Amino acid sequence: MTGLITSLIAQSGEWQAPTIDWHAIAPELVLIVGINLVLFIDLWIDESRKWAMATLTGIVLLAAFVPTVTLAVTGDDVRSMFDERYVIDNYALVLKALFLLVGYVVVLMSQTQLEEGGYYQGEFYVLMLASVLGMVMMTSSRDLVSMFVALELLSVPAYMLAAWRKRDGRSNEAGVKYYLLGVFASGVMLYGMSLIFGTTGSTKLVDIARSLGEGDLIAIQVLGVTFVIIGFAFKISAVPFHTWAPDTYEGAPTPVTAFLSVASKAAGFVAISSLVFIAFPAADEVYQPLLWVLSALTMTIGNLIALRQTNMVRMLAYSSVSQGGFILMPLAVAGSGDAAEPALKAVVVYLLIYAFTNLGAFAVVIAAARKTPSGSISSFGGLFVYAPGLTVLMTIFLASLAGVPPLGGWFAKFGAFRAVLEADTNAGYALAVVGAVNTVIATAYYMKVMRVMWMADVPDGDITPVVTPAPVQAALAITAAGTLALGVLPSLVVRFGDIADLSGALGR
Amino acid sequence: MSEFLRDYLTVVWFGAAGVLLGALLFGISALIRPNHPTEQKVIAYESGVDPVGIGWSQSQIRYYVFALLFVIFDVEAVFLFPWAAAVERYGTFGLVVMLAFIFLLLDGLIYAWKRGLLRWV
Repeated sequence: MTGLITSLIAQSGEWQAPTIDWHAIAPELVLIVGINLVLFIDLWIDESRKWAMATLTGIVLLAAFVPTVTLAVTGDDVRSMFDERYVIDNYALVLKALFLLVGYVVVLMSQTQLEEGGYYQGEFYVLMLASVLGMVMMTSSRDLVSMFVALELLSVPAYMLAAWRKRDGRSNEAGVKYYLLGVFASGVMLYGMSLIFGTTGSTKLVDIARSLGEGDLIAIQVLGVTFVIIGFAFKISAVPFHTWAPDTYEGAPTPVTAFLSVASKAAGFVAISSLVFIAFPAADEVYQPLLWVLSALTMTIGNLIALRQTNMVRMLAYSSVSQGGFILMPLAVAGSGDAAEPALKAVVVYLLIYAFTNLGAFAVVIAAARKTPSGSISSFGGLFVYAPGLTVLMTIFLASLAGVPPLGGWFAKFGAFRAVLEADTNAGYALAVVGAVNTVIATAYYMKVMRVMWMADVPDGDITPVVTPAPVQAALAITAAGTLALGVLPSLVVRFGDIADLSGALGR
Repeated sequence: MSEFLRDYLTVVWFGAAGVLLGALLFGISALIRPNHPTEQKVIAYESGVDPVGIGWSQSQIRYYVFALLFVIFDVEAVFLFPWAAAVERYGTFGLVVMLAFIFLLLDGLIYAWKRGLLRWV
């Protein structure tokens, strides 16, 4: 064994230590140190002071935010490490900032619930930080192997978080379903990756692109591209790979649901866009029709099932499935003519705005949870009578999800539609029509919730005001500010990270 | 047939071949094996011992902690051996990276120890 290894090493020639750009990987390092801090302090701290873990986690996430900002400010040059397999560019930085912010808001949302439930607080935050670390790594990964490591790092803690209420059968069901389908998806994806590696001889995305571009695709490469995209389609719960999502979202604790439906989904989209824009441009004949079908199915079926839901979280789950279809829309035309740049822009902007809006909707559900223990939509009846503030906020978030101007959602949808139309192909126009029809369908079930909140009577007649805990208030403030600001001043988001540079950053 | 439909036909053929292969293997073995069930043959095989009791019995799963801890050391060994074979080549950089790796793995062991999982209940 040792002899074999030594001979292998002898063949590989002189070895040089990789140069590490410490500033560039500072966010990841801060998170790693933070994970260890939270883990060890939690082990030695007294049970009565466990609340400090949430504060510490928040500080770690904000501390990781600092190098992200300094990296964005100091120069616009692309930093790369490990033979350009780990790249920090504007695209990566914007998304890193998004994931850290989402993590922070989720900590705010889960704090009170965890303290009251007596759940394992320290472990919860360790796992959540580990998951955020995986997402932050995913934004920079430009190599199939590091993408896979990042994906597992973000998924495995999420499986456990979904099953956090361990005495609750439905939470266990949520975790097991998510785990089994997630592992299955990883298997499919790895198989695809192995086929791609076998035919192109590299795991580096840039090299794969070069190799795929030489001559026509062979059958095995088609299989590889299809399998890899299908593997990630599970992660973003695209129809027909969405079956785990509603059960998992309903059974998991609500803050975890918010985390899964925003951060984990966004990470899947980040991976798909890195692949589509860097590795598979030559395979556009394969991925475009595939993503077209996935996008149209996801929008339509997600919406149609959401119409029939009576449970609030299940309705939001199917709504997030259908929103995933809209985010896939620009990717389905990413290879057609000039559409690549607006498509990338549209995906990033949509992910940003969707994160604020959807987190906000879940924060309202958490704030109103004590009055609506059944979780059914009808139990939100008369919310305006006893919680006018929450009602107004929920209306803003739902209207933004529906795409009503001047809220963030309209700009996100505008970008997605513009990218599809810019492609100027028949497939693009057809997809735009499907999307337009679905926007109208989606409005119906968002309106239904608004009508219940504003007009219906309080089911149990109890109109004592709801007390929203301070952390949840902060979460609501951040998400509402984001939703409003990005809708009123869309130039803000275009300037933020100068997304025009993104496509250049992705090596196009 | 257009180019991209032919591309997808590959995927369909591949899936069909997978299903066919499975069906074929099970089918052939069902056709050619002799089938003489006796009472002794159809009972569940349990390491050569006659099964006792019903299938739904509770069992101790406290071994699982040790299985998990074993994984920590197993993974560590998998990466340590190739590194140790060329420790001089990788120099200080390799040493620091390896120490960081071992420390991060030790997190799991320290956690288990502090939570009292190493005690046999």
